[in-house]
Amino acid sequence: METLDILLSTLSPSVLMIVFIGVLIGIIVGAIPGLNGAIGISLLLPLTFAMDPQNGLLLLGGIYMGGMYGGSITAILLNVPGDIVAAPAAMEGYPLTKQGRSKEALYYSIFSSMVGGFLGVLVLILFTPPLANFALMFGPAEMFFISLSGLVVIGAIAGNNLYKSAFAALLGLFVSTIGIDMAAGAERFTFDALTLRQGINLIPVVLGLFCFAEMFLNIGKKANEVITYKDQPIKRMTVIKDIFKHKYLVAKSSVIGTAIGVLPGVGTTLAVFLSYGEAKRTSKRRQDFEKGNTEGIIAAESANNATVGSSMVPLLALGVPGSPTTAIIAGALIIHGIVLGPSLFEQRPDVAYTFLYGMLLTVFAMGIIGAVGIKYFSYILKVRQEFIVPTVLIFAIFGAYSIRNSLFDVLIAIIIGVFGAVFKKTGVPLAPIIIGVVLGPLIERNLTRSMTIAEAQNLPLLQYMLTNPLAIVLLVFVILLLVVVVRMRKKDFG
Amino acid sequence: MKKVLGLSSVALLGVLAACGNNAEENNAPADNAANNNTAENNEASENEEAAADIDYPEGPIEIIVPYSAGGGGDTVARIIGDALSEELDTQVNIVNREGAGGEIGISEMAAAEPDGHTLGVFGYPDNYVLEETGNTDFTFDSFEYLASFDDVPHALFAAPDSEFESIEDLVNYAEENPGEVTIGESGALGLLKILAFEDQAEIDVSPVNYDGGGELINGLLGGHIDIASSSITAAPEIVDAGGEPLGYAAPERLEMFDEYPTLEEQGYDMDLGVRRVVVAPADIPDEVRDALTNVMDELGQSEELEEQFTNADLPYNYLDYDELNDYLNNTNESLQPIIDNNQDDF
Repeated sequence: METLDILLSTLSPSVLMIVFIGVLIGIIVGAIPGLNGAIGISLLLPLTFAMDPQNGLLLLGGIYMGGMYGGSITAILLNVPGDIVAAPAAMEGYPLTKQGRSKEALYYSIFSSMVGGFLGVLVLILFTPPLANFALMFGPAEMFFISLSGLVVIGAIAGNNLYKSAFAALLGLFVSTIGIDMAAGAERFTFDALTLRQGINLIPVVLGLFCFAEMFLNIGKKANEVITYKDQPIKRMTVIKDIFKHKYLVAKSSVIGTAIGVLPGVGTTLAVFLSYGEAKRTSKRRQDFEKGNTEGIIAAESANNATVGSSMVPLLALGVPGSPTTAIIAGALIIHGIVLGPSLFEQRPDVAYTFLYGMLLTVFAMGIIGAVGIKYFSYILKVRQEFIVPTVLIFAIFGAYSIRNSLFDVLIAIIIGVFGAVFKKTGVPLAPIIIGVVLGPLIERNLTRSMTIAEAQNLPLLQYMLTNPLAIVLLVFVILLLVVVVRMRKKDFG
Repeated sequence: MKKVLGLSSVALLGVLAACGNNAEENNAPADNAANNNTAENNEASENEEAAADIDYPEGPIEIIVPYSAGGGGDTVARIIGDALSEELDTQVNIVNREGAGGEIGISEMAAAEPDGHTLGVFGYPDNYVLEETGNTDFTFDSFEYLASFDDVPHALFAAPDSEFESIEDLVNYAEENPGEVTIGESGALGLLKILAFEDQAEIDVSPVNYDGGGELINGLLGGHIDIASSSITAAPEIVDAGGEPLGYAAPERLEMFDEYPTLEEQGYDMDLGVRRVVVAPADIPDEVRDALTNVMDELGQSEELEEQFTNADLPYNYLDYDELNDYLNNTNESLQPIIDNNQDDF
């Protein structure tokens, strides 16, 4: 098929419509606490069976792209991130909303998401084969070191009290150990309960900490106690110009998002917090962080949308899904009888290239829906708290239940929400808890894997882990990051 | 003005809620199919006659899948659910209840009301291995095994540029260097498959556990492990990227994978894999069970269904009620010694 034909078919009305619908659904499920792109995709998966493969794929790709952005809307306006990847958007955006600058925050979020999303897809189109090989270089040792860097970055991110941050991170790591340890088969903190044996799912934790906790604290407050609606006008161009002024920040965050997104099993959370931490470390206005610093929004939002394109690299190049979301997309392809991997581009170029170029369209669809919608999103702030709190709680309960159709997850979310409310009152930062829950299994599983392989090869553990040059580079990176973060903290707090 | 805006926001949320509901319903691909099944009406009414003395089904049927959406088990359930919905002229909902290697969902099937309105689809021997190696709420006899439509043999894959070109190479090396070969595995059956191979070939290897099939294959293609133990359906991707299937555990070559050798023909007597079974809770009334097995037999003859399995890269192989129960009893007997011999490893 000629390139021109593919381009033309990408721009056909039906494809454009599919892309718009997908992105819109993605933004909606992303904005609803507890739902995210992955859930939206699994819900709509059966619909795609009846569609052309490229249309079905683009519908799912649109949901993926929109879902990464949607969470930021509720994060900025209500301090309730619709998804974990929007947590930094809440940390920086909500303070801006309190100052009446909600539209400004929303514009920063959508335009940064667009830049990041665009760069991620561009990388997918241009560099899929070399990036796939890069991803393959990451064995257990390399994964272990890159996950460690995420723990180190906690030091840079949150709070102004070392002990509270450390407590939060350790609590997160502890929560992640609950359940069956797959390597040894041992049960940890399960109290012989089947529901605990499967471990604590990440989504109830996120919902509890960010959604239930915020809403519990808002119960009984009068409308103007939480937020006074002000609307400071801001021009779109002002924001766009400012984002381009921060081109290094955007580029760095998109690169972090792209690079981490390529790695199988690591997930977007690490990418988002790494670039957020980096933004804070290098910012000239570091003291403004958590008080409404737009640089934090730029970094986190461009990073999370950059992972959308890059996380599809292993899927398209090797047929290996690197994340839960891409695994579901892989399932959709298999149903259509499409073999993933290098041969995809030779055997079904129509599907492969329409999908790739269509993913660029999802970025623009997201931009249009976001930029037009922002005017209306802000009206949510005029709704009185007595309507907001029950509505958000209902969605959150629905979201927690929907992960595994389990009331147990709802219970977990509520319990964690109570703790979260206490933490908020006592100044324990919440982000490190989430980072701990996400990274705990990655660090542990890759360490045990390294130990097994080192033993099989009769090598001391450290020697095995540092066999590849890449692992050494990553170890040096972790150490440098640690030094830099410690120095930054010393400078900030004397 | 303010009020209007407030109302419109509430209305927006209402729309969101409605979307949520719609999405939920979309879980059942069968809905649409149920409405335009005129072609199948004749067959359906025949079935209804056969089971005239019972009112089954009364309302929608739920099929529990103990795995996440998009995987092989889920695909099987959706194909069968779709066809079942046409045959029985009722709505069939697929419910994913993943977790703990399938234990959560399988427990729920066992505890469901035995009236034929809750069925399950899972990969045997997941249930048997979970039961024998853990403290489960269900036993093998908690279910009526109605039928099975596919059989996916287990396979061993070598990494790209591997020095192992056949099972013999692998076994010879492992004999001289006990414990040195790393074999990656994932899932509830992963370890069992490696242990079975160790017993059969009388070698000692080092199993490395991965969280999912995707990560496992990534580890293999990156050369971080020597061998991956996965199902033969992973072959196209692995071969595409330069890896090699050393053999798969089926009695004879499958049409779908006839370019790759079996373990049998290389001298290792192994017939091991995953068979997706359609089950009902054990106490289901005999009439309902018979009605269901009749429908399954109808489906078992459908070429359209076979084509759907083939398109999804699932090796189609229909077993009816009696054949399936023979198969399960035989396989249980051959798995038992492997589990007993390796109790410490689980």
